[in-house]
Amino acid sequence: MRLLLKGVVASRGEGAGDWSVLADGIFSEGIHLVSGDVGSGKTTLAQVLAGLLVPASGTVARDGILSVMLSFQFPEYQVTGLTIREECESWGVDSGEVLSATRLTGKEAFSPLRLSRGELKRLHLACLLSHTYDLLILDEPFSSLDCSEKERVCRQLSERKTGITILFTHEQQTFPRVDYIWEIVNGRLVCRGRVPDALPLWQHAPELVRNLLAAGKCPKNIAPGDLVEAACRM
Amino acid sequence: MIAIRSLRYRHLAIDALDIPPGLTSVIGPNGSGKTTLLRLCTGIELPESGSVLIGDRSPRDAEIGWVNEFPDRNILFETVMDEVASPLRFRRVSCTETGERVDRCLELCGIRHLQDRSIRELSGGEKIQVAVAAALVHTPSVLILDECDSHLDAARTAALGHLIQRSGTEYVIQCTQQMEVAAQSDQVLFLDEGVVRLSGPPQEVFSRLSGTPYYPLSWRCRA
Repeated sequence: MRLLLKGVVASRGEGAGDWSVLADGIFSEGIHLVSGDVGSGKTTLAQVLAGLLVPASGTVARDGILSVMLSFQFPEYQVTGLTIREECESWGVDSGEVLSATRLTGKEAFSPLRLSRGELKRLHLACLLSHTYDLLILDEPFSSLDCSEKERVCRQLSERKTGITILFTHEQQTFPRVDYIWEIVNGRLVCRGRVPDALPLWQHAPELVRNLLAAGKCPKNIAPGDLVEAACRM
Repeated sequence: MIAIRSLRYRHLAIDALDIPPGLTSVIGPNGSGKTTLLRLCTGIELPESGSVLIGDRSPRDAEIGWVNEFPDRNILFETVMDEVASPLRFRRVSCTETGERVDRCLELCGIRHLQDRSIRELSGGEKIQVAVAAALVHTPSVLILDECDSHLDAARTAALGHLIQRSGTEYVIQCTQQMEVAAQSDQVLFLDEGVVRLSGPPQEVFSRLSGTPYYPLSWRCRA
């Protein structure tokens, strides 16, 4: 199973503020982390990879990928139900189970848009992650989640045994264990390679990772437990 | 001092809380009442009972800058320039002064390059940067930011911190899910189920949260 990008140009706008991202590479099975600055084109590239936007040039080819899902950065854009119960049903999931897991029991009749942003993100991810996909693209999945929930979602993502998972995020603290690191630098998507070898090359590495590397303590991965383990090494 | 007394609103219940000048971070689980508390401090919502006073004034009589956690809910106008100018235009500030103040604000916020862009074309992080500029342009005495940093990368989160310091705003209250950011504040409030469980300097509050996911990861790594 592979997602192949050949000379892909993802672009936005036709005026003074237009820009583009050039992307070449292959996403194989595993968890890929893509980082980049605000406005660097992460969301546009995510939509191109998901097939929601057509690239200005180049090709995105899917090899052995039969199901695709994109989680939007803004969960409010992905709401279709008038009530939380309807929203769960629209994903084909049991609302009782999802609401219990997301600590939203009792709010079945509320509009999803009455929830706080963190609650809405929690609901959205719980519905979305109750299915399996060959290609799962998550745009800022940790944005607005509380610290406990970030860790829970990371554990859930780490448990995905098959398929391609691509995380677009500028999160700086809580990550799942990832296999590959990519970043958008100067308008180009660059693969830094497999973790942990990729860590010294990662320009958008969180400060904590950079500090550990500077101290000669390369973590095995970037999940919180890996960072604490590296920090505690003598 | 911002004084909250006998406050009741939906599930939020605060008997007595004083928020001193400086940077206050509000942390806690999703749905714990953080946004509700912030909205009461802005005057967007009014308490069912009890009071919020900023000095001796109600929030609706104070100059407040506010940034919503949903980026699109901050935006009224088509271009960045019009959006940032809008708080001054609503206050009938002259065109010349509006132009000068918007110019300074765009520079201060580091978004001059966005000034002629359509807001609809901006990324989530850029929309938040514009919303912060619009909240600051009328030099409020209270700036209230609802999880702005969840849309920003590390460099822009740090820049926002510097901007807050340079703005000279007397009270800044922010919700954040980044404990490293909260650890840099003057005061931290930890809310859970509508109640302020902990409040005080970061060292004091986080020492009580040791062993939970709310304890800053960098502190766990230095232990």
